[in-house]
Amino acid sequence: MIPLSYFLILSAVLFVLGAVAFFVKRDLITMFMAVEVMLNAANLAFITFAKSASSIDGQIIVFFIVTVAAAEAAVGLAIILLIFRQKKTIKSEDINLMKG
Amino acid sequence: MNSFSALIPLLIIVFASLCIMILEAFLKKENKDYLAYISIIFLVVCGFFLVRAWNKDFSYFNGNLFLDNLSLFFSFIFLITTFLVILISMKYISLQGVNCGEYYSLLLLALSGMLIMVSSGDLLVIFLGLEVLSISSYSLAGLRRKDEKSSEAAIKYFLLGCFASAFLVYGIALLYGATYSTDIASIINHFQSGESLGLMALIGLGMFVIGFGFKIAVVPFHMWTPDVYEGAPTPITAFFSVGPKAVGFAVLLRVLYPYLKNVQDSSKAIFLLLCIISVLTMVVGNLIALRQTNLKRILAYSSIAHAGYLLIAILAQDNASLVFYLTVYIFMNIGAFAAVIALGKKDKEYLELEDYAGIGFKYPWIGATFSVFLLSLAGFPPTGGFLAKFYVFSAAVRQDLVPLVIIGVLASLISVFYYLRIIVYMYMKEPSYEVDINIDNPGLFLVLFLCLYGVLQLGIFPGNVLILIKQAVTALL
Amino acid sequence: MIELFLVFVIFGFLGVLLVVMNKLLGPKRSNPTKESPFECGSPYLQDGINPFPLKYSLVAFLFLLFDIEVVFFFPWALVFKEIGITALIVMFAYIFILLIGFIYAWKKGAFQWER
Repeated sequence: MIPLSYFLILSAVLFVLGAVAFFVKRDLITMFMAVEVMLNAANLAFITFAKSASSIDGQIIVFFIVTVAAAEAAVGLAIILLIFRQKKTIKSEDINLMKG
Repeated sequence: MNSFSALIPLLIIVFASLCIMILEAFLKKENKDYLAYISIIFLVVCGFFLVRAWNKDFSYFNGNLFLDNLSLFFSFIFLITTFLVILISMKYISLQGVNCGEYYSLLLLALSGMLIMVSSGDLLVIFLGLEVLSISSYSLAGLRRKDEKSSEAAIKYFLLGCFASAFLVYGIALLYGATYSTDIASIINHFQSGESLGLMALIGLGMFVIGFGFKIAVVPFHMWTPDVYEGAPTPITAFFSVGPKAVGFAVLLRVLYPYLKNVQDSSKAIFLLLCIISVLTMVVGNLIALRQTNLKRILAYSSIAHAGYLLIAILAQDNASLVFYLTVYIFMNIGAFAAVIALGKKDKEYLELEDYAGIGFKYPWIGATFSVFLLSLAGFPPTGGFLAKFYVFSAAVRQDLVPLVIIGVLASLISVFYYLRIIVYMYMKEPSYEVDINIDNPGLFLVLFLCLYGVLQLGIFPGNVLILIKQAVTALL
Repeated sequence: MIELFLVFVIFGFLGVLLVVMNKLLGPKRSNPTKESPFECGSPYLQDGINPFPLKYSLVAFLFLLFDIEVVFFFPWALVFKEIGITALIVMFAYIFILLIGFIYAWKKGAFQWER
């Protein structure tokens, strides 16, 4: 039996990795994948807590987060495709018409 | 009271959105103007049901969806926001080549997301509402498909928005782990009973605040704001600058007010976090706004700075002044954006400060109303902006937050400079070139008039609205 | 002996740290020569990865959506008997919304292969 805290540590590590990758990577698709990793880290945390409380709420929440992530992916990939058609690149440093 | 009536306003808006989407697919190109009128009719019907539910405390889905007075008030001002945005869009979308029915459909979908967020006390439902709002916002930002700036705004908004959502979800997960509940009331109860807050709960709450910090655009989570505001179609910018911001504050109010009031937290970590964010937001937002020359960017930084003042109201735990500030803010900001939109013609918008030279005399109505909105944003009497700031700052003084108030007043003094600079350009500069605009735009002028009325009414006779707001915030006690 | 060991540890750590920090913080400027697979020799004739037309990208996005939305059917099927007729109405409302999305996509020509 693996202790539940291991899962929590794994989820925290995944979350931090996702957050770091979001800032380090310069490719729009990779940045988006980093965000997906962060969301799935949250999913793992939810399931672990649901298990430790032996309650079903946390597992239901995961269903919702997965569907939300899918909706985000559909819109996001469509936007990235639009960018690619206009600029022929998906490097984040090439998207620089406006200075923030 | 458990009643189906709690669901009706939401159902109307979602149904309206679906209806418009289907009609968009089946209507001929020349009949698409009707979609705006259809959505306005649905908004009016929804408003009627909201007004009838006042003081009734309807709830549904075992109390997961409720319409107390606070959510009714917020829902109603969101309805007004969407109504005004649709009015300013009617001419704009055909002039600027965004003429598609999905525009209204997505706008109504975003509205439904905001309605869900303000009428639920469950963090998961709030998150789902936020995603409905965000995903439709991403597509709205990119609707000008031919324009590279618009797509750039969409991708920036999308990536940062997703990033913020991930923070939010992880925060909710940690809160769920600390309390085994996603219901705000039981989370607060759990915190109250405990001796001290666990580290996990504190981090969870902090991440929740950070996630919403992205949505309400506070420094240091504001990087996306100016770019998205500049790139998105201007009526959508008006919507972004008030809608997501107001709804974010509504949710923060629901979470943080009971937390700050009831929970004994010796470390005061969340309080300090909010103080730092508030100070940074006011100072940085106003300082960067000084060097901008694009009207949309100036207004973007001004909206960032306003989030700082609003955070003071949350810290002072004065709900009435926060809601009043948001109400005034909606009118003055949409008014200001409407005036910016008024200066445009087919496939051309005038957004640079130089374009505004001499506008005050050439188009006296636009110049005069724009000046009133800018003075209100800067906080001059007798406009609503002055009263709103006055209430917030005096509430903060009563709560012994004097240093914050001093910084707030100094920051709004800085802001006076860039607001007045636009007025100076409009009235005291000689135009170096001809600016030719499309004046035939009744919807837009109706919005200018309505916002002018709102700002002056709230500034001179705020009594009735204040009574409503007092009734609304009793829902939180 | 221990000093020698410490020297190895500290400088080894420093080396790794500097490389990592350089990787993380340094600017990444790329130029065509850097991007190319071989910097010298005869010029290559074509890209290793050929772009191919994504005719079905829209279908893929729609599949992603409809596929994932069906996930709600499973918990629904588990509790259907306990909730009864309300569950049926709710699910029909849900399918109705999905159906509207489907009709919209169809009418807009998202499923046409050749355009």
